[in-house]
Amino acid sequence: MMLRTMMPRTRLEWVERLAGAGMWIAIGASVFLTSAPLEWTFALAGCVVALAVVSAAAGIPRRRAGRKLVLRKGSGHSGLSGRDATDRPATEAAHPWRTLAAVSRLMPASGGRRWLAEAESLLAEVEAARRAAAARSYLLSAPRLAVMMWARQLMRRVRPGPRRPG
Amino acid sequence: MALRLTVQVQLVLQALLRDPAREMYGLELSEETGLQPGTAYPILLRLEHEGWVASHWEDIDPRAEKRPARRYYRLTAGGAAEASVALAAARRPKGAALRRLAERGGTA
Repeated sequence: MMLRTMMPRTRLEWVERLAGAGMWIAIGASVFLTSAPLEWTFALAGCVVALAVVSAAAGIPRRRAGRKLVLRKGSGHSGLSGRDATDRPATEAAHPWRTLAAVSRLMPASGGRRWLAEAESLLAEVEAARRAAAARSYLLSAPRLAVMMWARQLMRRVRPGPRRPG
Repeated sequence: MALRLTVQVQLVLQALLRDPAREMYGLELSEETGLQPGTAYPILLRLEHEGWVASHWEDIDPRAEKRPARRYYRLTAGGAAEASVALAAARRPKGAALRRLAERGGTA
């Protein structure tokens, strides 16, 4: 009975729980791999930070439940500020904006900005019934994307080569 | 880094290859492929890094259009050619495997 009540109920709680577990695994791995090459140490440190922020971000909506949410203003780039009041998401659906903004900080600056702008642009256009699922899909793919972006950035520093525009 | 042609990547490439000259934005692609936007985005980013896809923000006034600017994606000339070859190569082993399975099923 006790075990049942301790089980995460929502997908967000699952993400939070798994991220917490992953963080401890990553910390353990980084302790073992301190003698590993420098790139691995950086990558592991990135994973630890990423998991910590994701687990914290996943908890934001729950912590804010019951409080009045203040919608963030549009980033300007995606033009969310151009939407009218009726186009705004419902209060319960407003948290993805804040969470997306928090999660985008896991990524390298330019990559994070672009990801956030594109997510905002798409979420503003997607029909209301699909908005929550779309936001969740962005959030769930974010940690892997952040690792991919940082790995690319790291490889660029280690092996500087011709850069592609964009 | 070689691009792994997962089923999702193939779906995105197929959608873009239907009309290589046509530009598509994230939501359009996600609707056409049936993928969640969060799944399609990393794929598009990887394709862009490989030089198969080019993208740009549309230049509009969001207030006038009453919608945010979209980021449009399209296959590059080289990307379209490489994608066609890669998709054909990805289909081949599956076809052969299916034929083998069918043959085995037929004899069993």
